[in-house]
Amino acid sequence: MTQPQIAPGAPGAGRGGGAWERLDRRMLLVHPVRELGKFLPLLIGLVVAGTASGTWWQVGGVAIPIVLGVVRYLTTSYRIDAATVELKRGLLERRTVSIPRDRIRAVDLTASPVHRILRLTAVRIGTGLAQSGDDDELELDALDAVGARALREQLLRTPGRPLATPAPDLDGVLPTAARPAAPDVVAAFSPAWLRFAPFTAAGVVVAAALVGGLAQLAEMLNLYDDVERTDVSLTLSPSLLITLLALGGAVVLLVASVLGYLVTNGNFLLTREPDSWRVRRGLLTTRETTVDGERVAGISLGESWALRVAGGRSLRAIVTGVDRSDSSSATLVPAAPATDVEHAARRVAGDSAPVDAPLRRHGAAAERRRWIRALGITAVILGAALVALAASDVAVAGSPAWWWTAALGVPAVAIAAALAFDRARGLGSASIGGRLVVRSGSLTRRREVLRDRHVIGWTMRSTYFQRRAGLVTLCATTAGGNGRVVALDVPRAAALALADETTPGLLDAFTA
Amino acid sequence: MDDEPLRLREPAHRVSPRARWMWRAEAGIEAAIVIGAAVLAPWLWDDVPSWSPALAIPLGVAWAIGLPEWRYRVHRWETTDTAVYTQSGWWAIEQRIAPMSRVQTVDLTEGLLARLFGLATVTVTTASAAGALTIAGLDRRLARELVERLTRRAEAEGGDAT
Repeated sequence: MTQPQIAPGAPGAGRGGGAWERLDRRMLLVHPVRELGKFLPLLIGLVVAGTASGTWWQVGGVAIPIVLGVVRYLTTSYRIDAATVELKRGLLERRTVSIPRDRIRAVDLTASPVHRILRLTAVRIGTGLAQSGDDDELELDALDAVGARALREQLLRTPGRPLATPAPDLDGVLPTAARPAAPDVVAAFSPAWLRFAPFTAAGVVVAAALVGGLAQLAEMLNLYDDVERTDVSLTLSPSLLITLLALGGAVVLLVASVLGYLVTNGNFLLTREPDSWRVRRGLLTTRETTVDGERVAGISLGESWALRVAGGRSLRAIVTGVDRSDSSSATLVPAAPATDVEHAARRVAGDSAPVDAPLRRHGAAAERRRWIRALGITAVILGAALVALAASDVAVAGSPAWWWTAALGVPAVAIAAALAFDRARGLGSASIGGRLVVRSGSLTRRREVLRDRHVIGWTMRSTYFQRRAGLVTLCATTAGGNGRVVALDVPRAAALALADETTPGLLDAFTA
Repeated sequence: MDDEPLRLREPAHRVSPRARWMWRAEAGIEAAIVIGAAVLAPWLWDDVPSWSPALAIPLGVAWAIGLPEWRYRVHRWETTDTAVYTQSGWWAIEQRIAPMSRVQTVDLTEGLLARLFGLATVTVTTASAAGALTIAGLDRRLARELVERLTRRAEAEGGDAT
């Protein structure tokens, strides 16, 4: 064991005295700018009104936000001692939030572009409780960037928590000199990752929103009317026009999704800390989250259809005690090449088996259900369309109804069949080396790995049809993620064997 | 290790027989509303077919009489020193098992209809958002005893139940 050393006097570290301190002085620059931003609508109003009345209003309009910003700085102070972290703020309504240090589970660093120019970082300290209230979290906005980092190291290593590095001294100060100099990088952003942007759900959503917005704008500006009025057919045939519009839309989608990906995930870095995982991302506003290794109940490997086509994967952590609304904190690796993501998954899972080992298939009955569902729904919709069209007996765009049904029906059936095939092939579950591993889905396929000791209950659900097929949907409940890991349509005996292997003894009293 | 496949038996206890009456009342009210609408609709609108009551009445009666019986056969519960085991539903049947060491809270709910029949619902929650176990239609006194017992057991297990 290395002899613990006293940390050098890094700002924010080692002050056990319990004196109230102000945030970094540079916030005197940030606060007024922010307040001015909030007052901007009012200011514009004042400038307009000010041309009529005197200039004093305008001076006041600028001065008040600045004064408010200074007041905010002067009335905000924090204190860190051996037992608690406290934040005091407010002028008229004083408010003190205090968090016991042994309950701190998350320390996040966020730096907006303004912060970064001034070398500042906001420190968000949370207890990581799922039912997040005001008293579970406080934000020190902001400290010196170097000091914020030192503070994080100090706060995440409070006494009584297991350490993989040399123990801190009595004040809980970590011997910074003993920390490894080079970070253990598990995954790092590379510009090549940008090619996966269009294949992510976020990319699609951003792009769709953009197209929707543009269409709305076009409608608002009466562009459609103009298009109709101008005799486009003279210069462009309608099919060419549609092709051009589609192409333009696709390019916009592509650019938007890539930009969105770059802004969120630029600078991405996943590193292994002694007893936690650290994720840094963001091109403009950088955000560093630390996920306590103890709280990682499992991983969820995203293998959506689009990503698989592009040769990519994504990785999320199933973290216990994280506010579910704050889902980004659980992202370990964004959409990235499969080799990189799987490497990270193996590291986080502890070994390669849960990521690579083949899963137990769920059998013919479960696969038949995928086919019946996909083809059945398609058949019902097509049948209804055919009946409706045949009854109306009209020709749409010059072709009879049956022609349209066939033209749309054949690809629809083909897509449904492909989906059913992929969904059937994806089904699987297994208990591998103390972890429950399940996989299902096609368009949004995921392979989920949950540590056995994080399984806090079982739900076995079966509809009438499932019971007739001898299948059950086995759901392991957990405190992390969205509360459950689901194995779809498992043969009943296999489901019980899986549950029994995962939580030995729990089912004993109820099995015969 | 034996190769005999594991088989989960049903939980040991049924809920109170009076639960059937509660469910009958519930389903009866629902059926009455639907039947009432089906009888009235052809009078009010011309395009509703006149045979709609002939469809609604048998379905409503089956719903009010058959469904409670079906539910009653499915709903069962059991607790041991180490776990809680419940079974509920009708078309989709759910069996839930939670180890006592992971139990966080034990709640007793007495709804309006349940109170009329002297019944209560016991809800056992774990740290999971998807993990609550519900036993509906328990005799009120038994439900109170059960809450008492489960709370004491869960406390004895200790830990932070996550």
